[in-house]
Amino acid sequence: MKRTMLIASVVLAGLAVQIPTTGKNIDLVTLPGRDKVQLTIYNSEDITLVKESRSITFKKGTNQIQFSWAGTLIDPTSVRFRPLEHAGDIDVADTVISGQKPQSLVWNIESKFEGQATVEVSYFTSGLTWQMDYTAVTDPDETNMAFRGYVRVFNNSGEEYENAEVRLIVGTINLTEKIAQLARRYGVQPPAPGEAKYREMRNEAMDESISRAAGALPSPATQPPPPDKPKQIVKEGLSEYFMFAVEGSETIRNGWSKRMQAVTADNAKFDIVYRMRSHQYGPQPVRFFIWRNDSEHKLGDSPLPDGMIRVFRDNGSDGLAYLGQQLVRYVPIKAEIEVNLGVDNLVVYESRIVSTKRLNFAFDQWNNVCGWDEQQQWIEQFRNYRTKPIAVEFRRVWAGDVEYQSELPTTLYDFQTIETKFQVKARDKTEYPADVLTHQGANSKQARVKLKGPAPKPE
Amino acid sequence: MMKRVTLLLGIAVLAWAQPAWARIKLAALPVRERVEIQLDHGSYTLVEEERIVPLLKSSAQAGNNMIDFSWSNTSVDKDSIQFRPIAIREGDKFRPIKKIKGASGSEVDEVNVINVAYPPNENALVWEVFASEGCAVKVRVSYLISNLNRWFSYEALAEKDEDRLTLKKHLILRNYSGEDFGSAGVWAGFGPKFLKLVGQQEEIKMLVASFADVPINKTFTFDWYANGQLNPDKPKCSRVLMHYKLINDEKHNLGKFPLQPGKARIFIRDGRGGEAFLGEDVAQLTPLDGTMKLYLGEARDVVCERTLESNDRHAVRGNLFNQEIVLKYEIENFKDKACTLDIVEQMNRLAAEYGANPHGEAEWELEARTSKEIKLSFPDGRSLPVLSVQLPARPKDKDAKVEKVVVKFHVTIKNLW
Repeated sequence: MKRTMLIASVVLAGLAVQIPTTGKNIDLVTLPGRDKVQLTIYNSEDITLVKESRSITFKKGTNQIQFSWAGTLIDPTSVRFRPLEHAGDIDVADTVISGQKPQSLVWNIESKFEGQATVEVSYFTSGLTWQMDYTAVTDPDETNMAFRGYVRVFNNSGEEYENAEVRLIVGTINLTEKIAQLARRYGVQPPAPGEAKYREMRNEAMDESISRAAGALPSPATQPPPPDKPKQIVKEGLSEYFMFAVEGSETIRNGWSKRMQAVTADNAKFDIVYRMRSHQYGPQPVRFFIWRNDSEHKLGDSPLPDGMIRVFRDNGSDGLAYLGQQLVRYVPIKAEIEVNLGVDNLVVYESRIVSTKRLNFAFDQWNNVCGWDEQQQWIEQFRNYRTKPIAVEFRRVWAGDVEYQSELPTTLYDFQTIETKFQVKARDKTEYPADVLTHQGANSKQARVKLKGPAPKPE
Repeated sequence: MMKRVTLLLGIAVLAWAQPAWARIKLAALPVRERVEIQLDHGSYTLVEEERIVPLLKSSAQAGNNMIDFSWSNTSVDKDSIQFRPIAIREGDKFRPIKKIKGASGSEVDEVNVINVAYPPNENALVWEVFASEGCAVKVRVSYLISNLNRWFSYEALAEKDEDRLTLKKHLILRNYSGEDFGSAGVWAGFGPKFLKLVGQQEEIKMLVASFADVPINKTFTFDWYANGQLNPDKPKCSRVLMHYKLINDEKHNLGKFPLQPGKARIFIRDGRGGEAFLGEDVAQLTPLDGTMKLYLGEARDVVCERTLESNDRHAVRGNLFNQEIVLKYEIENFKDKACTLDIVEQMNRLAAEYGANPHGEAEWELEARTSKEIKLSFPDGRSLPVLSVQLPARPKDKDAKVEKVVVKFHVTIKNLW
């Protein structure tokens, strides 16, 4: 249902008709419909910039144009009127938001021009939102994937938007006040369903809609062919943001949402990595699919906005197997995309301490132990029961003053976290032994891990 | 049989009524040709329906095909629903979907999903689908659904002498999704694929695998710190727990796939053609090469008495000392079969009880008076040694007494303070 209405009128002295609800003398002249509408929807905030162009007939002198938006969530402070034609002759003298009349305003327009001109009415509204979601379907061998990104536009604004040009903004903007709050703050509240005023407004809107629909219905001969492929989403940078513009126009009815394909990448390679980080992911290795938002992976046209990625595997017989899902945060161009698919029962990790010794005791003035070193030998074992070799990234956090030595190449991820990467062959196991010397009590002079050279291989 | 998930093909007519759009659906209803229930994910169940959907040729007058998919009283994850055209029917056969030249001159699929629209306040969606010609297309509609879950259970039948058993693994499908799937393929991601009638509020138990002649090790475990005192009359005795241990590898006639957690019911052949129930346990996830431990209960015929025989402190310097401990175990096996008792000593708790705070993992050394009959192993690390002791069967002679096996565990727990 169309809720926004533009009523152009001329104040005619002496022909006043008293309308109690408004307290104004109005002579209804025209009810101009929208010629074109453009929606710019932001996903970081509940805000949409709506630009409508309409044709209005002006008379020389003062013209009153009333704009009303019953039942919608428009911020009255954002409504702007701009002539697109005869701009030098048409000026907005003032804008009146009446507390008496719900959800409407009146522009007093001084015109030196007489005739029809196209004007643009723009405003911020709330209730139009969009979000992304993604689907990745790997081949049965889990080497390549078909990756799809979808934009879904939700219209809960209270307003119908037919054949609208839709643009979606990726990025975070700053707002000092919420549009929905501003929409509710000004003027009296709109009538509730069932009230006489509500029915009156609904009938007005319906009349307008029907008359417009009848006029707008194209003849079969002029109807364009239906789309034969998903509409293209054109992506372009805009300041610190990215804009996704939907090809052509879209109709998004009030209350409905529409999902359109925005990102396509076929046969995109990806890596599988098992991460063992008990402090981050728990006690077992977790399986990650990792790829990049770049041309090597058939992507990289635009950042990928926040959204849920669902990962499936083609089971080789027209069916799918569900592997997992994860909410990914905004992925800039060339940045990595990581999807955690959880624990894999075919990759097993075990760790154990095989020896503990204490040495280098320090004593205080009362001859009590106040410092010591603890030397332990750890063995971390990874078993791979898959039919393909796997890449393992192992990180462990060590608290305190630690000297760390392993025969496998090890680096420091940060001051207290060791990191090592290795492969485990198919249906095989790899052991990662380490000697860990921890300085305790008075012997502890630091709070960091110091890497020592490779430990000698056990005989 | 109640179908809750419906696929409506046809014209979605939008009628004006009240402040919201109401939808009147005129449709042919293509039946499900096939349903696959994929249970390989532990937390999510994927349902795939295969349907033959007749599509009209897309044209300027008729527009594209609108396919309405709706569900009620089921928890379908709306965002997970996919519509995948697979093949087009040609005569009696299906052929892959081809690329054709589209209106814009670029290559497009003969059948193409253009977009999906979600109506307000309804569990439904509408796919807009392009078809270059009128055709019958095989599609797969897949979605994640709640309350259609899988469980595993085990049934173990041990031979009378308890050296082998037959392990049966069952898949239990519980359908409380509100949907009646009819004849559906069911697969757990391993093992056989089943074709079952899956009605709503039904539980279906399917045999996934049967492993015969699985060698088992019946263990008797004594762990003083885990199980405590048996009773006040026997203050030095603790419970002896019995387990069957199965190794999940091919050598032990298992090792086909990880064994998922599930309830295990254990039976034993009674030697007279019947079976006796031994008990039940919840089996933990057992990876390949891992060991499944099934708890059988408490052994009353293996008795172990633990005595702290000596407890000596040796000063090192200042408040630093070593604690020398001798633990004596007196074990009696009243069974008519020989067995092995595994004694677990928790060295950290032993150090804390008789010495002092071990400040982390206890540092300890084995000393000379440890009995040679003890076979020491460290399956769970150095601080949890397992002392395995062989016990002979009770004498066959009625008048002969049961031999008491006495072993000693002599250790020095070092550097305590």
